Amino acid sequence: MSGSSSSDGVTSSSGNSRSERGRASLPSTSRNGAVPQRRLQELSPGSADRDMEETGAEDEQQQRLEGGEGDEQSRRIIRNQYRELIYSVQQNREDMLSSKSNRLTEALEEANKLFSGVSSAREAALDAQFLVLASNLGKEKANELHCEMTTFDSLVFAEDLLTFMGINRIEAEENDNDSESISGYLPSDAWHKLGEETEKYFRRAPSFHYMLGSFKSDPPVPRQRIERQKKTTGTEEKRAMPAQLKKMEESHQEATEKEVERILGLLQTHFQNDPSTPISFFDLVIDPNSFARTVENIFHVSFIIRDGFARIKLDDDKLPIIEPSEDNEEREDGHSAGARNQVVLSLNYKDWKEIVETFEITEPMISPPYHSNEDEMETD
Amino acid sequence: MSQRKRSRGSGPSQADDGDEDFSLSPTLPRSQVQRNLERHSQDQVNQKVSELVQFLLVKDQKKIPIKRADILKKVIREYRDIYSEIVNQAGRTLQQVFGLQLVEMDTRQHIYILTSTIPRTEGENLRRDNQTAKLALLMVILSFIFMKGNSVKDGAVWEFLRRLRIQPGERHEVFGDVKKLVTEEFVRQKYLEITPIPLTDPPEFKYQWGPRAAKETSKMEVLRFVAKMQGKDPTYWVSQYNEAKTTR
Repeated sequence: MSGSSSSDGVTSSSGNSRSERGRASLPSTSRNGAVPQRRLQELSPGSADRDMEETGAEDEQQQRLEGGEGDEQSRRIIRNQYRELIYSVQQNREDMLSSKSNRLTEALEEANKLFSGVSSAREAALDAQFLVLASNLGKEKANELHCEMTTFDSLVFAEDLLTFMGINRIEAEENDNDSESISGYLPSDAWHKLGEETEKYFRRAPSFHYMLGSFKSDPPVPRQRIERQKKTTGTEEKRAMPAQLKKMEESHQEATEKEVERILGLLQTHFQNDPSTPISFFDLVIDPNSFARTVENIFHVSFIIRDGFARIKLDDDKLPIIEPSEDNEEREDGHSAGARNQVVLSLNYKDWKEIVETFEITEPMISPPYHSNEDEMETD
Repeated sequence: MSQRKRSRGSGPSQADDGDEDFSLSPTLPRSQVQRNLERHSQDQVNQKVSELVQFLLVKDQKKIPIKRADILKKVIREYRDIYSEIVNQAGRTLQQVFGLQLVEMDTRQHIYILTSTIPRTEGENLRRDNQTAKLALLMVILSFIFMKGNSVKDGAVWEFLRRLRIQPGERHEVFGDVKKLVTEEFVRQKYLEITPIPLTDPPEFKYQWGPRAAKETSKMEVLRFVAKMQGKDPTYWVSQYNEAKTTR
């Protein structure tokens, strides 16, 4: 260590003061860089080509070593001072953390002053130790700034939540220090109960589910649904009649036949009483109380006509009328000349309403099926 | 035209790689849209609006934000030129009929969510499913994050959940795979945002509120929840209260 400085011996005296000045002007934050550099100097004496500051320090140290006892004394003092400083910081942690206190800054300044007397590794190590302590404290202080007045105690919050959820605290003994202890029993609807309370604080859109559908909510589904809806809305009108009728046919084949027969009976009774007067078609089929029943009636009457028990004609006012027909020949032979015609009748709700008004139909001629035992002129 | 037919033919459940077909932004200036509107009949437009409303309602069941690309591909299709008009009308319908609001959550990514504009009434839950319980878990996490300063490390979150009898490794009787629920489902729904903290080994993550959380609730509401649970006034936590007051 001693050999290398010979070349620089000339500059030592002036270097001394310069390095002192240099050291004093260093801000405390850059000390971290300076200290290892110095240590490096001590460990690798061969690297003499540094800047003035470094070599000056080395020389100064040389001088100190040559100085002997007095220097060792001062170093011990410095070390003691550091240890005191560190101790005081550790003891007064809470005080330093307080946002009102400047004590941390004061401690840093004191350490800075101390450092100006540091020249060897041992003291520098203590200085580094102090720096770590101070910086941790600084970080905590910064964190404290977030929740300045009241820190949020998550433990208490957790306990309150459990209480709300209805926890059964079976075990009487409390292991309060060990927060991991599982004491108490949460009921199975605990989270659901909490959820119901939570919903009040959320503006969540309720999930939309079709009541009658068992669809899984995959992306393809909406598309199919949309397409189907498009089709049905278009053909709803025309489909209404056959759709209803089909259902009837499939499940109540016999009921239809019975119904047709009943109406036929009705018709024939009427014709017997008054053979020469044909019945207005509308008077017969229209049920002023129910559009659906009207449509059913038309359906049943169409069977009668198909089977040849009655005929539809247009009267002098061009309104359709029904009159009885001799069914003998027509029924068996479906191709008698000119006898068979096909007609498509369309009747919508609006039309039905108009007819009821125009023809002043107040009661249905064909009574609804479940009242067949009663008077035929009865209305619902 | 043929391009669109191809994507339709490949099945509606195709993943969103139909994006390239619709990468051109459909946001036309209002005047242009008005002109385009005249090219379609009112019935057609109404039909599309209804379809979009249905689509949004069903898509929202899982609470995953709805992408504009999906809307274009599956509903709007050839009516792209009046896209904005259809969306506006659908939004109005949702508001007037269902009391729901169509919110565009991210103007860059163009994703939508539905939120409610009317307060929830008591005893409404006719469906006994998991949604309510999951919401409870979410609220617990969101309140923890907020009260601790809007950003928490994953370790802290799971330690807190352990106190509520939730172990990330074990199967929970209500939630099942809780870890998956929190780190995947909640994130996908945009309720939570989990980002890795750089330069940590083993990697650590920080948990924050996601954009959906900010839209469906607010800091003030969460603070009220915490206050209610703890039997205190919201002003008890001064800094959180002040923050909640100034946010939105």
